[in-house]
Amino acid sequence: MEESQQQSAGSREWWAGLLRESFGPTFWLFAGFALAMAWICYSLLGPEAFESAVDRDKTLLANTLPRLAAAQVVAGMIWVMLPRDRFSRLLGANSGHRGLAIATVAGIITPGGPASAYPFLAIIAAAGADRGVLVAYISSWALLAAQRIIIWDVPFMGIEFSALRFLICLPMPLLAGLIARRLPMSLTLISDASAGAVRR
Amino acid sequence: MTSPGVFVIFFAAILLAVFAWSRQDETLRLGLTRAIEQFVRMLPRMICALIGAGFMVKLIPTEFIGNYLGAEAGFTGVLIGAVSGLVVPAGGMIAFSIAAALANEGASFPALISFITCWALFTAHRLFIFELPMLGASFARLRMLSVLVLPFLAGTIALLATELLSYVTVE
Repeated sequence: MEESQQQSAGSREWWAGLLRESFGPTFWLFAGFALAMAWICYSLLGPEAFESAVDRDKTLLANTLPRLAAAQVVAGMIWVMLPRDRFSRLLGANSGHRGLAIATVAGIITPGGPASAYPFLAIIAAAGADRGVLVAYISSWALLAAQRIIIWDVPFMGIEFSALRFLICLPMPLLAGLIARRLPMSLTLISDASAGAVRR
Repeated sequence: MTSPGVFVIFFAAILLAVFAWSRQDETLRLGLTRAIEQFVRMLPRMICALIGAGFMVKLIPTEFIGNYLGAEAGFTGVLIGAVSGLVVPAGGMIAFSIAAALANEGASFPALISFITCWALFTAHRLFIFELPMLGASFARLRMLSVLVLPFLAGTIALLATELLSYVTVE
């Protein structure tokens, strides 16, 4: 994959292929979702609520897209510099409980909200992390991310509640990872569609 | 909305780019190519998802949820908490302000735990904005089945913990 990137990155064909992918069939599903939500909002709540939702949309876009671009740069650099063999020993299919534990810690310390957690998830998926590790990482980030606890959980709920919740949820990512490893389902990742879907 | 984590991510991007550049080889170019590819590939879908989510937040009946959850305790509270967590498609600020409002209305600790756990694991906006465009439906399905029991488990542990704590305090 990196070979083909070296040859064609920046060329007209490269951009054309990229745009074909970004406006692929599922794009229209997402566009339909946005239009449907806009229509429901307008017809149920009226023009005033619709306008305030449009304002919210502008803020959401302005906040999320720059973070996402930064996170993709981080993820891209990690992708290139990551030592693949050591990585798959740590987080691949044979990583065992240790892999799940590393994924849990990584989830806790990931900064920057979903706009950075999901690019990292896509990176470790493309680099060969096993399904248990992927599920454990994103569950850990969702339940235990230090940033969210510091910014929202503690101020809104108090330190006692947050600490208890953290303790109760601490084993959950590990459990989710173990369940994911045992579920008899096929997993097809789209994270590198250009290299052909990765089956795992 | 600006938080320390956001600065960390911008700082990390700059730091890594400078480090990659200092290697004086293909690292920076390959890394940036990869970043641009990933970003452009999901940008149109992500913009649609963000717009859709903004409208969706307007449609949630938060007061209704609050009235309902405040009244129920025990395992019923855990169940209602989990279901309520499902219908809050919004970020941490809204979810936790709802949780705080619920706590004020007298929602039990286990109900709040299952509410937050369920919201954290299943919130619809993250699914639409990030998970589906970046990982795909196959991963989303696997992940959701894997974490399905967690809100109930967390709620039940919280229930046991409150029982235990109240026993200790009574003693």
